[in-house]
Amino acid sequence: MKTIKLQSSDGKIFDCDLAVAKCSGTIRTMLEDLEIDESSEDEIIPLPNVDGRILRKVIEYCNYHKDDPTPIATDNDDNKEKRTDDIISWDAEFLKVDQGTLFEIILAANYLDIANLLDVSCKTVANMLKNKTPDEIRKEFNIKNDFTPMEEEQVRRENTWCEEK
Amino acid sequence: MPFISRDWRNSGDKWEKDEFGNWERTKVIECESKSNEDHEQSSSSSPPSSSSSPPPHCQIVLRCTREIAGFNGLDVAVKRLDFKSSVRNQRRFQYICALLKLLVSGEVVMTSLSGNAQRILLQMIEEVAMHVSTSKQHINTLRGLVDQLRQLVEQESQKCWGKPLGSVNLWNTHLQTIERIQNIASQIEIEPDTSVPQLTELPEECIRKIILQMSDHKDLESAANAWSLMNYIIQEQRIWRELSKFHFTQQQIDSILEKMSLLDTPERHRNWQTIYHTLRKKYGLRDDFQYTEVLALCRFCHCLFWPMTGHPCIAETKEYQEKLEKAGTSYESIEKTQLVPPHQFLKYFSL
Repeated sequence: MKTIKLQSSDGKIFDCDLAVAKCSGTIRTMLEDLEIDESSEDEIIPLPNVDGRILRKVIEYCNYHKDDPTPIATDNDDNKEKRTDDIISWDAEFLKVDQGTLFEIILAANYLDIANLLDVSCKTVANMLKNKTPDEIRKEFNIKNDFTPMEEEQVRRENTWCEEK
Repeated sequence: MPFISRDWRNSGDKWEKDEFGNWERTKVIECESKSNEDHEQSSSSSPPSSSSSPPPHCQIVLRCTREIAGFNGLDVAVKRLDFKSSVRNQRRFQYICALLKLLVSGEVVMTSLSGNAQRILLQMIEEVAMHVSTSKQHINTLRGLVDQLRQLVEQESQKCWGKPLGSVNLWNTHLQTIERIQNIASQIEIEPDTSVPQLTELPEECIRKIILQMSDHKDLESAANAWSLMNYIIQEQRIWRELSKFHFTQQQIDSILEKMSLLDTPERHRNWQTIYHTLRKKYGLRDDFQYTEVLALCRFCHCLFWPMTGHPCIAETKEYQEKLEKAGTSYESIEKTQLVPPHQFLKYFSL
């Protein structure tokens, strides 16, 4: 099978099957633009926004999921499943990383346009947000409370839908 | 006339001491050790061998009458269905917590269960507590359980006449377990992760993606109160429109829009938050999204099992299927399983 070379921001080169690389919408477009196909000579695709450590993980993910059916791209996201506990165990294991790495994976998936990876990594973060108080969320993600006391009161008032049943 | 049960000639169960020194039926111990072996196998990622033991399942007696109810032991079912390690399975966590909540919340009084069942139940809650304390997720769920347990202990300690029934030693062990659970719950401390980048460094579109994954307005409320950017995104109409369309059918939405005289007006695009809350009050939220995996009951062999792993079934044999066809029904056409939500599960046992 045809392989291509991907270059990370720190200059590392990764060999990757063409089919695997095509999981990424960005790379797919690049290949089309550069007119690279099965017959082309070894071309190096530069990916200046992803470093080697994350690129290795992303390729690992795409390798595992290369045979998954591609989700039908629709503009209408309304009926999208909002379930966050259906992450398959391989993915859950794959995303057992520190928060920094997780966010870098989100950034890479966003940049490389890998819908499945972006979905599953965002689900993982959503799971960390669920079932917590605002204070706990701030602690968990190191968020500084950037509301002034007045704003805080206002936000609290605006968002109290829960008490009224 | 004495009631003679189906297997009255049976010599009875063999009993052994388990690893904790408690008496348990040999058949239960065997099935437990098998499922543990399976876990070790699967964790070392070796392919399941053909000789591996069947997935967790438990046969029960339906059409529960008072006499026959004793056949379905909650403790046995819990062990056979591998609830304890399922706590760590994200797909099953919510289901098991819902069951535990029913059991401690007073709808079924926990103290009227058999001593063994009580012990196992508390062990499971302890397992939940440990899981929550390591994963730092579902903290509120655990808090709810701990609260219920505290109320339960209070209730029990106020009773003076010969309560709680049963062994005093056992009750003391329960109290110790409850104390351990409370300790674990109170010691859960969220430690900020200082690795970079931080959530706050993600671009707005990624934060929006994360928020779009949330299905509960209470979580949205907490998120909005935590950080100004999330508050800003949560005010967007799209969040509420998607949430409404996730929880409610188009008909329900249309009927509310009509009531609010917003149908086919441009105004409706500006009011999704109000629309959502009106819908929620009128119809209630979808509850099937709470559980990813729900226990199933096989109609042929009356086995409870987890749909993801399946179960060995008599109906899979050729002879059985031929018999069915002779009887005029084809195997393919009948509904084979029925889902068992938590409250239904408890009905199979005499509690």
